[in-house]
Amino acid sequence: MAKTIVCHCEDITLDELHSALAQGYFEIESLKRYTGIATGKCQGKCCIVQTLRELASPRGSAGIRAGLAHGPGEPLAPMRDEDLAALVRIPTIRQPVTPLRIDDIVELGAEEE
Amino acid sequence: MSVARTAEIVIVGGGVSGMACAYNLARRGMRDIVVLEKGYPGVGATGRCGGGIRQQWGLEENVILAHESVKIFEHLSSELDFNIFFRQGGYLMLVHDEREQALVEETIPMQNRLGVPTRFLAPEEIRGRVPGLALDGVRGGAFCPTDGTAYPYAVLWGYAEAARRLGVRVYLHTEVRAVSRLAGGGFAVETAHETFHAPRLLNVAGARTRDVAAMLGVDVPTRPFRHEIAVTEPLKTFLEPMVISVRHGFYFSQSLRGEVVGGIGLDGETPSHTSASSPDFLFKYAAALRRFFPALGGARIIRQWAGSYDMSPDHRPIIGGVAGAEGYFHACGFSGHGFMLCPIVSRLLAELITTGRTSLPIEGLSLERFAAGELAHDPYVVG
Repeated sequence: MAKTIVCHCEDITLDELHSALAQGYFEIESLKRYTGIATGKCQGKCCIVQTLRELASPRGSAGIRAGLAHGPGEPLAPMRDEDLAALVRIPTIRQPVTPLRIDDIVELGAEEE
Repeated sequence: MSVARTAEIVIVGGGVSGMACAYNLARRGMRDIVVLEKGYPGVGATGRCGGGIRQQWGLEENVILAHESVKIFEHLSSELDFNIFFRQGGYLMLVHDEREQALVEETIPMQNRLGVPTRFLAPEEIRGRVPGLALDGVRGGAFCPTDGTAYPYAVLWGYAEAARRLGVRVYLHTEVRAVSRLAGGGFAVETAHETFHAPRLLNVAGARTRDVAAMLGVDVPTRPFRHEIAVTEPLKTFLEPMVISVRHGFYFSQSLRGEVVGGIGLDGETPSHTSASSPDFLFKYAAALRRFFPALGGARIIRQWAGSYDMSPDHRPIIGGVAGAEGYFHACGFSGHGFMLCPIVSRLLAELITTGRTSLPIEGLSLERFAAGELAHDPYVVG
C-alpha cells in the first residue's frame, strides 16, 4: 500500500498514527509527543486537521469505548462514536506561532527595552 | 456515591515519579496499585522539563543519588523494553570567575571519589569539544562525559507501560478532590467518579504535592516557580554536550531530533502554577543563546513552553514518610531535578514502602529537617 504522509515536516505517515493509536496513545497531547506530529516547522498547521479526524474516528476513540482510556471529563458509561468525537481537543499551541530567527528576536528584545 | 474501591496503595500523580514508583512497587511484588492523574500522563513538570541528567553537584548526597540514577538510566531502555532516547553527551559547566574556579577545584575531586568522572577542561580543550562556543570571559569548564539527556515522555511512557504489564491501574483525567484518614487506619482518596480506600498513600503530585499533603494536614514547605524553555527548528548535529552556565542560569543542548533545547532563569518570578509563556523569556534566552553560540543567530525558534519547578527551602528533595502519618509517603521539592533523580528515588521509595528500609540513606531528606534548623545548600542549583 502506498505511504500516506500526514506530517510533511517530520515525515510522519498515517500508518504511524494508526500504530500509535493502537498502542493506546489516544489523546492529542500524548499522540503529538509520541509521533512528533504538530511539532515540526509548521507547528501543526498542515497536519492537525487530519490528526484530529483520526482521533475522532472509531479507531481513535477505541480506547475510550473499551474503557482503556479516559477522555477529558467523559462519563464512565459507554458512549457513541459521534459523542466521543466531540471530546477530541485541539492541542496546545505554543508561541511563537510563526518561527522567528534568533537574530530577529534579539533585535525585537532590544527595542522593548 | 458508589461503594469505595480498595487498593494496596494509591499513588497521586501520573508524572514520571508516579509511574516509576508504581512500576518499582509492582516489581517488588505489591499488587492492587492505583495511580491517579488529573490530566494526561506528564502534563506537569515531567513533560515540561529539559530532560537533562547530570551528576555534577556540590553536595555528596546529590552526587550519589544522581550517579545511582545514571547507572539505572544506562540500562533503562532494556529494563522497560522501551527506547528512552538516553544519550550520554556529557555536561559542560562553564567556569567564569575565581569563585567558580575554586568551587570546581573542590567539587571535582569529591565527584571523582564517588565514581563520577568529571574533569576540568581548559578553554582550548572546550574549543575542540564544542566548536563555535564563544569563550570570552570563560576560564574553562567542568566536564562529565557520562552526564546526558533522555526524552522525558519516553521515560514516563516506558515506566507506565511496564507498570501496566504488571497490573498497575492508571486513571487519567481523574483529579483527587479530597483525602482523609480512615478510622481504622489507611486513607480515603476521593475523585469526581469514585473513592479509593487504601492502607498506603504515596503523594508524588509534583508542584501540587503540597496541596495534596495539606488535605491531610501535613505542611510541606515547597513553592512552585515557573521555568521556561524554548526550542529551535531541527539543525544538523553540531553540539555533543549539554552546556550550562550556573552564573547566568542558562543551559542548552541539542536533542536527537536536532532541535536546540534550552532555558534561562528570569528575575522576579514569584510562586505560581502558571505555565504561560512570556516574551521576556524569549528575548533573554535568544540573546544568551546568540552570545554563547553566535552561529545560531540565523536559526529559528519554533516553540516555547513553561513548567513549574517545585522548590524546597534548601533546593533539596523531600523524600520519605512523615512522623505521625502512618502509611503516608511523599517525594517532592525536587527543585528542578526530579526527572534526573526519578530512577533511583522511585526505587528507594519502593524499598521504603515495602520493607521500611532503604539501600541508600535518605533520612537527611526528610520533611523533619526543616524543623531542625540548619540546612545544607547545593551551589550547583540552576534557577
